[in-house]
Amino acid sequence: MTQRALEAPVHAATRDGAAPTSVVGRQKPEAVDAFPLEMTGVTKRWRKDLPPVLNQLDLALEPGTLTWVGGRNGAGKTTMLRIAAGLIEPEQGRAQVWGVTAQENRVRYQTLVSFLPAGDRGLYARLTVRRQLEFWARISMLPRAQVNGAIDRAIHDFDLDQLVDRRVDRMSMGQRQRLRIAMTFLPGPEIVLLDEPLTSLDAEGADLLLSAVEKVLDRDGVVLWCSPSGESLDLAFDASWIIDRGRLVPA
Amino acid sequence: MSDAITAAHAFLAVMRRDLSIYLSYRTRLVSQALTSVFSLTLFYYVSRLVHVSGFKSPSSYFGFVVVGISMVGVMYSCFSIPELLRQELVAGTFDRLLLSPFGAVRSLLAMTLFPLLYSFIVAATTLGLGCVIFGLHLHWSTVPLSVPAMALALLAFLPFGLLFAALTVVVKQGSVGTSWVIALLSIVGGLYFPVSLLPDWVQTAAKLQPFTAATSVLRHLLVNSPIAEAAGASLLKLAIFAAVLVPASTFVLATAIRFGQRRGTIVEY
Repeated sequence: MTQRALEAPVHAATRDGAAPTSVVGRQKPEAVDAFPLEMTGVTKRWRKDLPPVLNQLDLALEPGTLTWVGGRNGAGKTTMLRIAAGLIEPEQGRAQVWGVTAQENRVRYQTLVSFLPAGDRGLYARLTVRRQLEFWARISMLPRAQVNGAIDRAIHDFDLDQLVDRRVDRMSMGQRQRLRIAMTFLPGPEIVLLDEPLTSLDAEGADLLLSAVEKVLDRDGVVLWCSPSGESLDLAFDASWIIDRGRLVPA
Repeated sequence: MSDAITAAHAFLAVMRRDLSIYLSYRTRLVSQALTSVFSLTLFYYVSRLVHVSGFKSPSSYFGFVVVGISMVGVMYSCFSIPELLRQELVAGTFDRLLLSPFGAVRSLLAMTLFPLLYSFIVAATTLGLGCVIFGLHLHWSTVPLSVPAMALALLAFLPFGLLFAALTVVVKQGSVGTSWVIALLSIVGGLYFPVSLLPDWVQTAAKLQPFTAATSVLRHLLVNSPIAEAAGASLLKLAIFAAVLVPASTFVLATAIRFGQRRGTIVEY
């Protein structure tokens, strides 16, 4: 793992040090002077008698950056991603995309952010790959004219051509993971949150994932990659952090 | 306008997904048809035993109860929504719906389309089988009017499914309470026997939910059963139920989801 930006401002990742000025995406962010993704003072506890899993956590990602967050099992990586994705809410603090929280503008937030949860869930077992992608494209509210193109691109980018008519329950774990990743990138998100994305992937699948990540970074999007330990792939992370006692510390 | 069209496509995509999943189980259609035939057979022979005031003949009771069992199917469809939601929670697909721009609330509303449309088709099939196999006499001149009446009835029933879906979001159990609610509504809704046979206070309670009015007006339109109040009054009652309860239950569902997001339990199953 390459750590290119440990000298970057605390809890912030930047590729070139420039202030974020423009973003390419389906919805042009209104507040371009804000970070693409910023979490400030985020605190979350699961039980009142236990210490918080996240404790005043701060994180800011600048355009075009790839950030890794690690930590032991149960450290709070998935909780952090779920809050960043807008799936759950923090007790304190804010998670915002270009200055706006999911509560303030849910549709805009969910249009810009895409989250790959850990594990192999989130697929309809009885649907074929194409049906699954079609469904996801539709509820991602892609404009009608873009739907077929986005599906074809996802099939091509993740080498799913041979699987398009296969039902998910007849696919291997690695093939399912490839489909889950394809769904994550299908709507063309500006902010991609990946929770243990390499699970079950073969080398070819991992290369396809890295290629998709590069495309997001090339259009000034951001990718937040979480896994328990440093990935063995030659990934050029702009910043690497560990969650320790609910806060981010340099890896 | 384009957003509305995109949302309409998303609604249809949810229905298409449910249809695809339904068709992937190839024996379901046959199983449903057999269920209808056996139910009709059962009540056909039960109707031969009926010799009570209120029914001119066993055939008139048969017509009465065929509409009733058709409505039971519709009722089950409404109350299947919480179980469908539970399946989404277990499969992790609810997270996807929640994180989509279309959103969880609209997705859940869209998820009601297929079960309700399907129950509508099953009800029509049951009536058709009743005609073909058991000689059920439909009142053909008013049968077409039963289609919009049924659509209104479905809108009035929908909130019950949404409210139980909200409960499912909170307690994570799909079938909590639905069995006894369906049994209770079958009784007070007059699905198997006239509400007039029930105690007075139960008859009063029967007026407080839309199933009685819907069943009554559909019986009138389909098999020309006598109706206690004007059909227009029953339809107005259904319209009021729908107009009040659909927004209210949608709000409760959205609140339950937000509650789960705040507590962090929305991802549990």
